[in-house]
Amino acid sequence: MNTSVHTAGRDRRQLLIWLVPPLLWFIVFMVVPYCMLFYYSLGSTEYMTFKPGLSLANLIRVFSAEPYLSVLLKSARIGALTALGATLVGYPVAFCLAFHTRTARAKFLIYLLVIVPWWAAYLVKAYAWKTILGTNGLLNALLLKLHLIHEPLTLLLYNEFSVVLTLVYIFTPFAILSIYAQLERIPTSIVEAAGNLGATTFETLTRIIIPLSLPGVLAGAIITFSLATGDFIAPALVGGPSAIMISNVVINLLGVAFDWPMAASIGIVVIGVGTALISVAQYLEHRSQARF
Amino acid sequence: MPVIIEARRLKKQYASFAAVKNLSFSVNEGEFLSLLGASGSGKTTTLRMIAGLEQPSGGQVLFQGGDITQLPAARRNMRMVFQDFALFPNLTVWHNVAFGLRLRINRGRVGAEEIKQRVGRYLETVQLSAHADKLPQQLSGGQRQRVALARALVTDPPVVLFDEPLGSLDASMRKAMQIELKRLHRELRKTFIYVTHDQEEAMGLSDRVAVLQDGELLQLASPEEIYAQPKNEAVARFIGTANVLTGAVQVSEAGTAVQLPGGARIALKGSVAGIAPQQVVTVMIRAEQLRVLPASAAVEGALSARVAERLFLGDKIRYELDLGEKGPRLTALDSAGGGGRFAVGDAVQVCADSSHVHLIGRPDADAL
Repeated sequence: MNTSVHTAGRDRRQLLIWLVPPLLWFIVFMVVPYCMLFYYSLGSTEYMTFKPGLSLANLIRVFSAEPYLSVLLKSARIGALTALGATLVGYPVAFCLAFHTRTARAKFLIYLLVIVPWWAAYLVKAYAWKTILGTNGLLNALLLKLHLIHEPLTLLLYNEFSVVLTLVYIFTPFAILSIYAQLERIPTSIVEAAGNLGATTFETLTRIIIPLSLPGVLAGAIITFSLATGDFIAPALVGGPSAIMISNVVINLLGVAFDWPMAASIGIVVIGVGTALISVAQYLEHRSQARF
Repeated sequence: MPVIIEARRLKKQYASFAAVKNLSFSVNEGEFLSLLGASGSGKTTTLRMIAGLEQPSGGQVLFQGGDITQLPAARRNMRMVFQDFALFPNLTVWHNVAFGLRLRINRGRVGAEEIKQRVGRYLETVQLSAHADKLPQQLSGGQRQRVALARALVTDPPVVLFDEPLGSLDASMRKAMQIELKRLHRELRKTFIYVTHDQEEAMGLSDRVAVLQDGELLQLASPEEIYAQPKNEAVARFIGTANVLTGAVQVSEAGTAVQLPGGARIALKGSVAGIAPQQVVTVMIRAEQLRVLPASAAVEGALSARVAERLFLGDKIRYELDLGEKGPRLTALDSAGGGGRFAVGDAVQVCADSSHVHLIGRPDADAL
């Protein structure tokens, strides 16, 4: 008995040794930066240099001074539209992958096609949309050739639409994979049982499959929303002046205005709002989670 | 009774594996028919083809004389109880049972009031009224099984299909559900087609049993007939505990007998038509029809044997008996009421009434 207690103690010490590296990583790269962010948000700037302090003025300015709040809301709107778009595009792909791909090889191939675009740099993909949507771009050239329009459309690029389109394209794989993971868990017999009871394909989809895949849909939406809301490349490349997003504002505050306290305050608000939204979504996800 | 379902030369071929080969049989209205076989015998595939969940590679499925081979599963008048129950995890017990009634296919035919009544009635039948608002995950295995049963029955289908429905339940729950199923079948007078690998279950529940092996039908008959007159060795071995013995026929003044390797002789009943002396035949004797007697007993036609193994089974004792050095081994199930008379190594006598010695197969019958 004595020896077993002794062994348990030694096991625990050994476990701790294994835990030290990840714990250090977590502290140095997560806890410390969060603390620094909070510390900077309470300070102020004088002649473009940081002055420590204990003021909530910057946090209040996020909500009171223009353009911060409106840009924040617009970013959230773009994030939400991206999540919606990625879900609408991703669901059918995930559905086919889960239920209509019979051979393992075909499954792997589609899986690969979903992931491969991520091997290419994000910047390149965002730039590609510029050449597709631009005044002399592919889409306009095609429409002109088909005589559907007489002069190039300018409303395709440099607005919220082009930003959302680009972000949907880039982040859809996340939605696909998370919805697919959930759909894969639905036993075939459940789908067969619905059909056996007389349900049409549409009824099986709306009454059984979609409700059961909701946790995956929500998880995908959280990821795509978070990634899209904080994006700064798409608005910079295809957004134009009107579609500036909150990350672009932060970058300007940091690199141009050297107003680090303001930038940190926006960061705190974004993290706070994001955490609240994710908590709500996670609560819904948990509630809709059915065990198989 | 009229035929309700007929399988005609049904075939199912997977890439290089023939799951079902040329299967033909018919099911009568109101009958409880079991498809019995080991795993890989094609019994589940056959059931799924009847349900429309699997497209046959050849042959037809007929319902009341009409070809339904191409009819989608949703439009066939039969409900299935799945092995894993396949309850909808996002719906309560009540909504699981009501699912079929609330579909478009039944819109206008079944009113909201009637749905309430029928779901209530069937939940009562399976004794789950108290659990109507629970989710499937909150129920025990036996309760889930009963939800699946109520869900299948509530739409009042003429045919109910069962795919090893008791396979995932523990032994005592399985026994209780068997009695429940038998009662439901008697009360509802529906046609039940039941897939199982458990021969005891098939024998106990069914009006007729279809024994399948390697995608082929070995025998389709009443449990009594399959037990007493198995068509061939495979059926004999599959049902109960059988001694299947091969030997040459000997005809003497005393009657016809089969001489086993090692010299022991087993008498056949009377003169069996169509059997010539020296012909090699296979006979089957049920383990419970062998009597084990003390070596001292004087019984005509008894064979001397030695007890090789003894297993106490509660109501019975199972003996493994060796018939001499070269002779075959026999299995005998002796009622334990007779007392645990013999031990391993004891010399005993074993005998069977000649009416319990069944000729099967007759491999050389054509040669005569």
